[in-house]
Amino acid sequence: MSIQFKLTDEQLQLVSLAREFTRDRIIPAAAEHDRAESFPWPIIQEAAGLGLLNAGIPEAYGGLGLGMLDECLIGEELAYGCMGIYSILMASELGLTPIELAGSEEQKLRWLAPLVMQPKIAAFALSEPGNGSDAAAMSTRAVRDGQDWIINGSKMWITNGGLADLTVVFATTDPSGRAKSSVALVVEKDASGFSAHKIHGKLGQRAAQTAELTFENVRVPAANLLGEVGDGFKIAMRTLDRTRVPVAAGSVGIIRRALDESVRYAKERQAFGRLIGDFQGVSFKLADMKMRLETSRLITWQAAWLVDEGQPHSVPSAIAKAFASQAAFDSAAEAIQVFGGAGYVNDVPVEKLLRDAKLNMIYEGTNEIQRVVIARALLKN
Amino acid sequence: MKALCIIRQAPDQEARVKVVGAQVDLDATTLALDGMDEYGIEQALRMNLNSVVVAVGPVRVETALRRALAMGVNRAVHVIADANLDVISIAGAVAAVARQEQPDFILTGGQQADSDTQALGAAVAEFLGWPQVTWTVSLSVEDGRATFTHDTDDGKEDGSCPLPAVFTTQQGLNEPRYPTLPNIMKAKSKELRKVNLDELGVAPGLVRTVNQVPADKPRLGRLLTGDPVEAANELVRLLHDEAKVI
Repeated sequence: MSIQFKLTDEQLQLVSLAREFTRDRIIPAAAEHDRAESFPWPIIQEAAGLGLLNAGIPEAYGGLGLGMLDECLIGEELAYGCMGIYSILMASELGLTPIELAGSEEQKLRWLAPLVMQPKIAAFALSEPGNGSDAAAMSTRAVRDGQDWIINGSKMWITNGGLADLTVVFATTDPSGRAKSSVALVVEKDASGFSAHKIHGKLGQRAAQTAELTFENVRVPAANLLGEVGDGFKIAMRTLDRTRVPVAAGSVGIIRRALDESVRYAKERQAFGRLIGDFQGVSFKLADMKMRLETSRLITWQAAWLVDEGQPHSVPSAIAKAFASQAAFDSAAEAIQVFGGAGYVNDVPVEKLLRDAKLNMIYEGTNEIQRVVIARALLKN
Repeated sequence: MKALCIIRQAPDQEARVKVVGAQVDLDATTLALDGMDEYGIEQALRMNLNSVVVAVGPVRVETALRRALAMGVNRAVHVIADANLDVISIAGAVAAVARQEQPDFILTGGQQADSDTQALGAAVAEFLGWPQVTWTVSLSVEDGRATFTHDTDDGKEDGSCPLPAVFTTQQGLNEPRYPTLPNIMKAKSKELRKVNLDELGVAPGLVRTVNQVPADKPRLGRLLTGDPVEAANELVRLLHDEAKVI
């Protein structure tokens, strides 16, 4: 069969589970965590108990070995309830991915298996106060000292920072060496000299903890190095090529929520003696959201399928991430417009969708960087 | 000990149904494992019994059976039958499966969300000649006897009965679990036995549905005005006495 979009029975059940969990647990709690910037530990623990956390860990290390398409199906559902809460799970997978891609057997057994046994999360630390999109320009230093590496510097905007049991930290052995001097080191939560400072005042995704990480002579064993010296940047890029797909899936969830909320309101709100959905000005917004939903989901599934097939997916994942996040932002903005004044306050969830969607256009590579990825591929050779 | 859980696949509680011709179009609506039946499954799982789930219906019923397996039930039996089989015929088919399976007791929802009858448990008990306990809210078994609490019109009643028996479930019996991802994965390798109605010696139903009309209740649109405290009291009274939701 050349192409097909039918989900398996198991996938339909994954969707059904994630949808129920979202309806019963995430949606009722989302607004409060957003308001209070509080971390939803009970939800994360229950998600872990159901197998929704770190679900991509391969079966060989005790995980469920879910494929990327499976993860995207779950991600769409969870993000429908709260993109911020989904980001916690997504960022944990992001933290694990470098280990899955570049870890040795011993490293995978050491770090992945414990994350299946208990509700523990991981983090990925690439950005710094002084650099973001130009990831190779990192200044966090890693210096070899006998059987250890000593890390000094700081990392910025780290989702799950300070809460993660393990953090993959990208550092350089020589700041002038850029990518060639980069390393990826696994730092465990209790490492001496390692501290995290929660960043307050985020526009959206406020249930997810974002932190600045500080490393002051943090000593980790040489066995915590993923790959070789010089592999760090490559590992980071390969990771992001893959993990951009779940960001797109989260965006699809936001679009679907924006559409559902808007359709519901358009069918009950009256103006000029008619339902507002009867006006073309409103109904076309719904149609536009539906078009964004379907196109975004298609490219997300395609990128996910390529990942699962082990085929090149850098450009499709960049397209999915950039397109779907922009579509989510536009859909959330249109949803507010459908609601009018009611959409501008936090009694209904549409203003939160807009605030949350904005981050999907920034993290895991800004949408401008996605265009760099796409354009470079077009102009290569 | 072995429990047989009877399940139904009914429209999801949030689903809209529509009538095509003279019938509710179940293929066009979202169907789910009947919530009341989940209490029975959960009970069997909590009691750590060898559990078997049975459903009578068309091919699509398999989805509900898979969910029960994903919740943790050991095996499933699917009696393939027409979607509109009447409840007495369904009970006849279940009783035939029960004679094969020889469970210590049977659990099913106190009420079926699709047909809205409360007949299934009672009819199965009648076919088998077993005692029946309706609206069960607590259940334990020991030495071939069950001890239970069940709801009555006037309140609650404690009792005991010999096994085998049929128990119909009620909200409050337990809090059904979600199927976990590992169990969803495992469910595909669990046994799901298919059997035709005629193999069980059960005749197709004699009841024929002539017409179905979904209840279309207009909203009352009642506004409570005046003093907020009085309005709140009136709201509570209306929800309690008229809507009977609290």
